[in-house]
Amino acid sequence: MANFLAQFQSIKSSCDHLIIAGTRAHTKEQKKKFTHPSSGIKSSCCICNLNFHHECFPVEDVSDLWPLVKKGFEERLPFKRACLNNKTRNPVFVEKLPAEYILTTDARLRSRFPHELALFWFREPYATVILVTCEDLDEFKTILKPRLKLLVQNDEREWFIVFVSKAPPHNDQATKMAKKVYAKLEVDFSSKKRERCCKLDIHGLEINFWEDLESKITECIRNTLDRRVQFYEDEIRKLSEQRFLPVWNFCNFFILKESLAFMFEMSHLHEDSLREYDELELCYLETGKHRDFGGMDRGDDHAALLNPGNKPLMQIVQDDSFREFEFRQYLFASQAKLLFKLNRPFEVASRGYSFIIGFSKSLVLHESILPFCMREVWIITACMDLIKATASHYSDGLVAPDIEKEFYRVQGDLYSLCRIKFMRLAYLIGYGANIERSPANSASLSMLPWPKPAVWPSVPPDASSEVLVKEKMILQATPRVKHFGIQRKQLPLEPSVLLREANRRRASLSAGNVFELFDGRSGFNNGSGPELRMSPAPKAHAIAISRTNSTPGNFESSIDRPMRLAEIYVAAEHALQTTISDPDLWKSLSSLAEFEQKYLELSKGAADNYNRSWWKRHGVVLDGEIAAVCYKHGNFDLAAKSYEKVCALYAGEGWQDLLAEVLPNLAECQKILNDQAGYLSSCVRLLSLDKGLFLTKERQLFQSEVVRLAHSEMKHPVPLDVSSLITFSGNSGPPLELCDGDPGTLSVTVWSGFPDDITLESLSLTLTATHNADEGIKAIRSSGATILKPGRNTITLSLPPQKPGSYVLGVLTGQIGQLRFRSHNFSRGGPADSDDLMSYEKPTRPILKVFKPRSLVDLAAAVSSAFLINEPQWVGIIVTPINYSLKGAVLHIDTGPGLRIEESHVIEMERYSNTSENADCSKNDGCTVAEELTRMTLKDGRVELPDWANKITSVLWVPVCAISDGLAQGTSADSKTLLFWLSNPHLKFSALIDRTLAVHFTDPFHVSTRVADKCDDGTLLLQVILHSQVKASVTIYDAWLDLQDGFAHSGECDGRPTSAFFPLVVSPTSRAAILFSICLGTTVTKDDVKAMRSDSILNITYGITGDRALGAHTPVPMEPIGPEDAQRLTFKSAIVLQQPVLDPCLALGFLPLPLSDLRVGQLVTMKWRVERLKYFEENAVLGNNDEILYEVDANTEHWMIAGRKRGHVPLSMKKGSRIEISVLCLPLIAGYVRPPQLGLPRVDDTNISCNPPGPHLVCVLPPALSSSFCIPA
Amino acid sequence: MATTACFMIVSRNDIPIYEAEVGTAPKKEDAAHQHQFILHAALDIVQDLAWTTSAMFLKAIDRFNDLAVSVYFIHTRLMLLHDSRNDDGIKTFFQEVHELYIKILLNPLYLPGSRITSSQFDTKVRALARKYL
Repeated sequence: MANFLAQFQSIKSSCDHLIIAGTRAHTKEQKKKFTHPSSGIKSSCCICNLNFHHECFPVEDVSDLWPLVKKGFEERLPFKRACLNNKTRNPVFVEKLPAEYILTTDARLRSRFPHELALFWFREPYATVILVTCEDLDEFKTILKPRLKLLVQNDEREWFIVFVSKAPPHNDQATKMAKKVYAKLEVDFSSKKRERCCKLDIHGLEINFWEDLESKITECIRNTLDRRVQFYEDEIRKLSEQRFLPVWNFCNFFILKESLAFMFEMSHLHEDSLREYDELELCYLETGKHRDFGGMDRGDDHAALLNPGNKPLMQIVQDDSFREFEFRQYLFASQAKLLFKLNRPFEVASRGYSFIIGFSKSLVLHESILPFCMREVWIITACMDLIKATASHYSDGLVAPDIEKEFYRVQGDLYSLCRIKFMRLAYLIGYGANIERSPANSASLSMLPWPKPAVWPSVPPDASSEVLVKEKMILQATPRVKHFGIQRKQLPLEPSVLLREANRRRASLSAGNVFELFDGRSGFNNGSGPELRMSPAPKAHAIAISRTNSTPGNFESSIDRPMRLAEIYVAAEHALQTTISDPDLWKSLSSLAEFEQKYLELSKGAADNYNRSWWKRHGVVLDGEIAAVCYKHGNFDLAAKSYEKVCALYAGEGWQDLLAEVLPNLAECQKILNDQAGYLSSCVRLLSLDKGLFLTKERQLFQSEVVRLAHSEMKHPVPLDVSSLITFSGNSGPPLELCDGDPGTLSVTVWSGFPDDITLESLSLTLTATHNADEGIKAIRSSGATILKPGRNTITLSLPPQKPGSYVLGVLTGQIGQLRFRSHNFSRGGPADSDDLMSYEKPTRPILKVFKPRSLVDLAAAVSSAFLINEPQWVGIIVTPINYSLKGAVLHIDTGPGLRIEESHVIEMERYSNTSENADCSKNDGCTVAEELTRMTLKDGRVELPDWANKITSVLWVPVCAISDGLAQGTSADSKTLLFWLSNPHLKFSALIDRTLAVHFTDPFHVSTRVADKCDDGTLLLQVILHSQVKASVTIYDAWLDLQDGFAHSGECDGRPTSAFFPLVVSPTSRAAILFSICLGTTVTKDDVKAMRSDSILNITYGITGDRALGAHTPVPMEPIGPEDAQRLTFKSAIVLQQPVLDPCLALGFLPLPLSDLRVGQLVTMKWRVERLKYFEENAVLGNNDEILYEVDANTEHWMIAGRKRGHVPLSMKKGSRIEISVLCLPLIAGYVRPPQLGLPRVDDTNISCNPPGPHLVCVLPPALSSSFCIPA
Repeated sequence: MATTACFMIVSRNDIPIYEAEVGTAPKKEDAAHQHQFILHAALDIVQDLAWTTSAMFLKAIDRFNDLAVSVYFIHTRLMLLHDSRNDDGIKTFFQEVHELYIKILLNPLYLPGSRITSSQFDTKVRALARKYL
């Protein structure tokens, strides 16, 4: 059946031919015409067939109806909307289904054997349209009807009749007749199931006719198609069942399957057609072994995967078996054609890529029989074709975004694949030195095995000159030196050494001979391929060249000896030349410049497409390859831009190994472009990469570059970001705490990533307030240059006073030479970004806390009890720092009135112990006291606190003397004030500590007196009671009384009590008494009254033993004096003694109450009698001598007084005159109450004699029960 | 045991936080570079796939000549470049490494997303590779 292939293809191609001829319809036209034999009969029919559709038209009588209606029929082609059934019998609407009408007499139909071969059924007409016209009923019955019956019965095709009425509209007769004939026609040929007739009125309106016609034609086509599909399917099924029988022939299956596919394709059911091809491909692959692979023809190296008509089918079939090479390409081409028709270029690309990958595997299997590098060439051309075709069919924006993305991705893949194969070919012919040894290229090429021809091509006989050229090229090729002199093994571009591989594959050599190639050079090892090629031993070359020079003709014999590299290149070049049929591709490999152009084109294509597909990593890497080419051609600007993209990607994702490959290149570009800022930043990035990636020497070079630039005159100095290189953090532990307004020093840890010491001309650090953004940022500066060692450094910065708040570290800035730099980084080790869910917010640990103003120190008096007045006393001031250092603080002391500080004396300061017991202990323990007792001098009221008292509570003892001029009156305990304030010239206190302390000064004793006894002889025993007022034991050594006038000491004594009493020790707060015996002295004359001393003075000599920590104590010795004298103190106190009044001038008597009992609510009259006992001279001074003032004093809660409580009553001046004062009183409460008292305010109590005296208490009874309240009125 | 295998943990931000050459093939200086390059390029595919699948283990998402890249999605990505076809072994390897990685995460001193420098982890990963790959 393979014989039919030729016919099959010719049928197909004739279809193709018609399409090309301009109808655009994939149809063939056949036309069949029946003319009635008798020309007199006015009836005719015409049948028009088409492959898809047919249509019949009326012919006017014998003459053709077709010319009459042809225009109308063909105008309505293609069919606008045809409903067809697909393979699964589901309706599919096909837009613009093309069709053609042909006459049945057409030669094309005639030349064919009807139904000769069911296989080619697809090209048969789809329906028959019978055009009839008839104007006479009889004629219809006798002639037309039998003929029509004959036509219809013989034809298995779908058919229908179009009745053309030519009756003019004004001719009713003709119209009627036409109607009758048509009615008859309908009766005869239409059935209930199917309407097979329609009527075209040429002269009438034809509105409905065309729609009717189209629907009828569509129906016919659908039916025909269904039937044919059914037929093909049955046939295919039959064949499929026999698949595993020996008689099975793939060719038959192929013809059936493709016929079906072709039929679908013609019906515009592309989806179904595509499915058929897919099934066909599957079936082909499943059938397994195919005898011949193919691909040996000239031109086969150029992929034909988009050109189904590349080769006639007969050429690709051999012994009923298709050759894989051609047939698979043919199938793919057919699929691609359909996909393009379906407007799915993306699918072509993605299927194509898979096809190329799959197909290249098949090529590998047959590589040994194919021409040298055929596989590579095929892939290159396939990729290029595919890219070109899909890109031209693809229009942006018409597909979903993800499809678009995928499309570009596949395009990128195709470009990339093509690029790799192209590089491989270029390497084989010696352009390897021009291929960048980047990780991308290296990974692609070094993992790609060499081509494996059966025999490696050998050098053609007359190629000696070419070999020389290649030799020269090898010699001239200078290995790309890495910038900065980085010593890094170059990445390989070859899976194994080409030299060895090529020679091994030559028939005449075995692998063992390879060592001869190197002239016994030692150190050859397998892994050092690139080096081997790049730097061959001079000796080896010397030999090779000399040999070449001396005997150029010996290339002929090169078959027997191993080929040298140049020879391999030449041999490969010649072999490729024979393989490659595409002149463009060969041109790309013909010279270095062409190669680079093509290489650039492929790289750019791949990069662009990957970038468009958002595969940024693939894309950017290729950008790097482009950059390498740009760099080579001196296009540093473009190179730098591309390299920057690559570096940004790698740096952003932290792939440092890869970054270390590219970054030096970028730096070099920037250096050449004199982009100082960029160059510096690249150097910094190089330095901040992992230390293991570069040698120390290289890192030092980077640093020296930075320093060199920093100290040179930079045109546009820009701040350099060294965040990755110089990092900093606060010291661990709690933050530094300062008070508002205080300066301090801040210690910061700075890590330097430089390999050597680096000198920073300046360094400053900003502090940011954590909760107050308005505060702004304050920079603190370190003074002078700083040298950072590699690794950890501790920098101390002096901190000016800050506002209250909490501060974190901000930015580190500084200068290296002229170069300003800044670093934002807090600490090492953490990830640089923060959008990772799991990465923690960098804790903004405050480094400094400045507190709001508060009391920093407390000043208090150490002793609350009184001190001795008029004596220098140690006044203790407790200085308590409150979480604050008092280092360098100065205490100012100012005294209040009446106080004097003994400035000449030292001031003592000691540690304060809270309990007195501790104080005792510390006293006993001399060492501790000695350590913490400091003596200082007061200057201008200021004293500096010692260092040890920075943080601890201490007591400052100041000698203070309270001065009281007057004599103690016995009861006073003076309160004096001391004014202190603390300041610090270094620590500037935000608020001066200003404190006023009250200190009590007092006399040692409170003195009171009383007359203890009055003797008969007029001697009075005066008891002087001494009440100790200090918390110290006072020893009284002596006491004497200087009496006032009018009194005299009785007896012989000199005013001292018995001396045996002394010394008398008075304990704190206890009392002692001294008795003095005195008597009234002589009365003084009136002249002496003025000079008279009005009070007596008590003199006491005493000593005091006390602790200054408790209160009064031994006065501070102002001058060195004897111990005994020092203890003797004198205390003087004034005592007033009064002589008694012996005869009062008034007598006040309380007259007995008139009633026996007093009751509440009952009025009672109180009466007093006042009697003048003698004339009272003192009253003469006052005006009203004859009256006296009285006043009744009563408790208002107990008594209600009626009448005047206070008033004057007349009383004669004469001795013995008397008067009665009566006051009406009302008791208010019951019980014993004090009665109202009468007083005489203007008369001294001593001059009043109460006789008889009034009662202290009187009894008041409750009110008597009153029955009258109970009696009803 | 696989002759070539390069294991890598890549953080969510595509930063490599751990890498180990765990193949039996003799160490080549340049291999690490190439492997890094291949794995880095495979991230393009990983980023696309991460949103389309709920499976954790995806085998051979990318092929590079004879090598394949398999990925195990956790909140980071465990990526393995390998030439072996032992899918079960690779899956088990990933699961075991996942356990180890969780233990690393539990370490309060380890900041998630930073480089894993634990030598114990390294030793265990290599042992697992010997066992399963």
